[in-house]
Amino acid sequence: MTLPAVALPAGRTGVVTRARARVAGAAGALFVGFFTVLAVFGEQLAPYRATELAGPSLEPPSDAHLLGTNLLGQDVASQLILGARASLVIALLAGVGTVLVGGMVGVIAGWFRGWVDAVLMRVTDVVLVVPKLPLLLLVGALTGGRVGALSLLIAVTFWPVTARVLRSQVLSLRTRTHVRAATGFGAGTWHQLRNHILPDLALLSLAELIPAASRAVALQAGLAFLGVGDPSQPTWGGMIRDAIAYRSVFLIEAWKWWLVPPILAIVTLVAGISLLGTAGERRLSPRVSRHTR
Amino acid sequence: MPNDPLLTLATDALPEPSPPPAPAARSPWRSVARTVGLYAITIWAVVTIVFLLPRAIPGDPLQHLDDPDSGAFVEDSRSRELAMAYYGLDRPLLDQYRLYLSGLVDGDLGWSISQRAPVGELIGRRLPWTLLLVGSSMLLASAVSFVAGVSAAWRRGSVTDKALIVSLAGTRAVPEYAIASALLILFAVTWPVLPMAGGQTAFARYPNGWEAAKDVFNHLVLPMSSLTLGLAANQFLIVRNSAISTLGEDYMLLARAKGLPPRLLKYRHSGRNVLLPFLTAFGVQVGFAVSASLFVEKVFSYPGIGTLIDSAVTARDYPLLQGLFVMLALVVIAANFLVDLAYKWVDPRVA
Repeated sequence: MTLPAVALPAGRTGVVTRARARVAGAAGALFVGFFTVLAVFGEQLAPYRATELAGPSLEPPSDAHLLGTNLLGQDVASQLILGARASLVIALLAGVGTVLVGGMVGVIAGWFRGWVDAVLMRVTDVVLVVPKLPLLLLVGALTGGRVGALSLLIAVTFWPVTARVLRSQVLSLRTRTHVRAATGFGAGTWHQLRNHILPDLALLSLAELIPAASRAVALQAGLAFLGVGDPSQPTWGGMIRDAIAYRSVFLIEAWKWWLVPPILAIVTLVAGISLLGTAGERRLSPRVSRHTR
Repeated sequence: MPNDPLLTLATDALPEPSPPPAPAARSPWRSVARTVGLYAITIWAVVTIVFLLPRAIPGDPLQHLDDPDSGAFVEDSRSRELAMAYYGLDRPLLDQYRLYLSGLVDGDLGWSISQRAPVGELIGRRLPWTLLLVGSSMLLASAVSFVAGVSAAWRRGSVTDKALIVSLAGTRAVPEYAIASALLILFAVTWPVLPMAGGQTAFARYPNGWEAAKDVFNHLVLPMSSLTLGLAANQFLIVRNSAISTLGEDYMLLARAKGLPPRLLKYRHSGRNVLLPFLTAFGVQVGFAVSASLFVEKVFSYPGIGTLIDSAVTARDYPLLQGLFVMLALVVIAANFLVDLAYKWVDPRVA
C-alpha cells in the first residue's frame, strides 16, 4: 500500500521531463559535435602549433591570440583546440574498451553460472575495491601516458561495474521463455549467445558506454593534471597542470584565460556526453524512462 | 485523519516499527570469515600486482647502464652483473617475490630515488595531513548530505529540492581541481580571508597549542570545502532516493497516523532506514575521496600524500609511487572492510 497523503503524482517526482530531455539531448549533441569537429580538424583550425612560441609571455586575449598566451608565450586557444583530440579519442577507446571487457566478463559469468560465475564475481569484487586513480598513476608513470595505452589501462581497471550490470541482465534473460525453449531444442551456447543474448544486451551496453566515456574524459584530464600524459600531445589536463604549477597564476589576471578555458572544456565535454546519454536512454528505451521519470 | 481518536487509540498500542525478524541465521562468524578472506585476497592481489608490473613491462631497471648516452653508462658487462646481483635482480622471480614480501611485512617499502629517503618515512610524514583532510571532508560531506537528502526527499518536487538536485548533479561534472581553483580564487585572492596554500604558516612559532590548531584549521578550510563539495553530490543523491522510497512504506503511514511530529518522522523513521544504502555508499566514497584529495592537495599545495604523489610522478620515482599505491590501497581496503563489518552489524539480515 502506498501513502496517498505523501505520494506526489508520478511525473512530478523527478526534475527531468520529456521536453527537457529533448533540450538536454540537443545540448549534449551540440557540445559533443563541437568538440568532435575540433578533434578531427584541429590542425586546420588552430592558428598556431601547440608548442610554438607564438608571442610574449602571459599576453591577455587579443585579436592575434583569442585566449591570450601562457607563461611560455604559447597560444592558449590553439592548445585548447588541439587538446580536444586526446579527450575524444580516450572517450571512444576507453569507453568501448570498458564495455567490451565488462561485457565479456558479465556474459560469461551470467551464462555459465556455477564456479565460473563465482570466480569471476570475486575477481570483480577485488578489482572494485582497489583505488583506481593511484593504480593508473603508478602504471601510467611506468608506461608513459600515450592515449592508446591509457585507454587500455582505463578499460582493464573500470570494467567491474559494467560486468555486474550485464551479468544480472544475462541472468534474467536466460530465464525468458524463448531462451529456455531454444535450450529445449538443443541450441548450443554460441547460438544462444549470438541470437538471443547479445542482441538484447546492445541497448544496455550503449547505456553503459556513456558513463564510461565521460568518466574516461575526466580521468584522462585528471591523470594529465597529475603528470601522467603524453608530452608530445597537448591535453586540457596538461594545460591546467602548467597553469597551476605557475603559482602566481592566481594572483594575476592570467587564470582567466589560461586556467578557466581548459576547465570549461572538460566540464562541457563531460556534461555533454552525460546529457547525450540521458536523452538517448529515454529515446531508445521507454521502459527505463518510465522508471526514472 | 491523525485526529481520529479511535485511530490514535488503536495505533498507540502498536509497537514501534522494527525490521523483519532475521531468518534463523547460521553463525555470523561464517560471513565475517568470508569477508576477511575476500579482503585478504584483495590485499594479496594489490601487493602482487605491484611486484609483477615493473617486471612484466619490457626492459629492466638497469637499462640505462647499457645506454652510451646515459651518464651511468658502464662498458663492461661484469659491472652490470654486479649491479644486478647487488639489487637481487639476478635471482629467480620467486626468490625476489619472497624477499619483497618479507620486506613489506617488516614495513620496508623501499628507498625513494628522487628524495633519497626511505619510502615509509616519507609517507609517514605526509599521511597525517591527508587523513586530516579526507577525514574531515568525509564527515562534513556525510552530515550535510544526510540532512539535505532526507529533507529534500521529504519535500520532493519543491523548489529547494529541484535546486539542490540540479546544482549537485551539476557539481558531479566539475572536476575537484576546478572546484578547488574556484574557491581559491574567491576566498584567497579576490576576498583574501584564508591562506591560499600549505598546511600551516611557514616558519611559524606558536605561543600555545590553541594558536597552532587555529592556524592548521585556517589552512584546512578551503581544501576541506572543495573536497566536501566534490563528495556531497553523490551521497546526497543516494540519500534522497532511498529516503523517497521509505516514504511510501506502511510504517510511515502508521507513524503519521499516530500524529508524530514531522521531525521524528523525517529522521527516525525515514532517516534511519536510509542508513544502510548510506553506509554502502560511504565505502565507495572512501576510495573516491582519496583520489579526489590528490587533486585538491595539488591545487592548494597541501603537504599531504597528493603533493608527494605529484612529485613522485614528475620524477618517475617508481619505488616511491609503488609504496604510495600500496599504502593508499591498504587505507581504502581497510575502510571498505570496516564498512562491510559495520554493515553486517547494523543490519543482521545481511550477515
